[in-house]
Amino acid sequence: MNRSLVILFGALALGVAVFAGSYFVSQRAAELCCARPVDDLIWLRDEFHLSDAEMQRVRRLHESYLPQCAEMCAKIAAKKTELQAELAGGTNVIADAQVKLTELGELRAQCQAQMLRHFITVSQAMPPEQGRRYLAEMKQLTLGASELMEQSMSGDAGHEHQH
Amino acid sequence: MNKNDTHPDGPQISALLRESRMSPALPPCFQQNVWRRIENAEASARPASWLDALAAWVLRPRLAFATAAVLLFAGILLGVREGSQSARHEAQARYLAAVAPATLR
Repeated sequence: MNRSLVILFGALALGVAVFAGSYFVSQRAAELCCARPVDDLIWLRDEFHLSDAEMQRVRRLHESYLPQCAEMCAKIAAKKTELQAELAGGTNVIADAQVKLTELGELRAQCQAQMLRHFITVSQAMPPEQGRRYLAEMKQLTLGASELMEQSMSGDAGHEHQH
Repeated sequence: MNKNDTHPDGPQISALLRESRMSPALPPCFQQNVWRRIENAEASARPASWLDALAAWVLRPRLAFATAAVLLFAGILLGVREGSQSARHEAQARYLAAVAPATLR
């Protein structure tokens, strides 16, 4: 093989190795440095630049919300189990399953409403501009996904149900 | 130490010896020949193809070190950026998991 070609490929490989090595090492270092697995609220403090006093208010709200959220999750899980049981046994499943589906939907709506109330309360505990940004981001992250799914199921996305 | 240096007539003898030494006459076309040899040496150092020229250019120490430094710096910069973004997303996901059940998202 041509000596010059070997030199060029060697230089190229060395360059790639230097770049990739420094990239992966520094990426891992940054991940390890920034990751603080003990606190769920660390993202709020970093993202919305909250002071210690604001963080304390937000933490109190968060801790009072968690039992309500867990209770609602347990109700939804129980209703889903009931629905599964209805679907698994019996011959006249449609009517019973419809009732369970309606109840499940109601529970989900209650859970979403409770979640939104919490987001609004938390946003009010932040400086106004950060609060607005937090609320917009939380709406987009929690409700945006289901909206996207509904849009894809409706005619907006160029797809319609064939009944 | 040289014994001549201690002799009282030493400097005179040295001067006489220097004068008596004849410098040989330069061969004909000496200067042209010197320049021709220099040109030939430069011509033989010139790379045979563009690939050789590129390899020679790449191997220049200043360029090699500068390129390595730039790649190292770019790698560190991008890595730190990606790493901190990934940590941020992880922290955001942890918060979302705490406040919003996955079934509602």
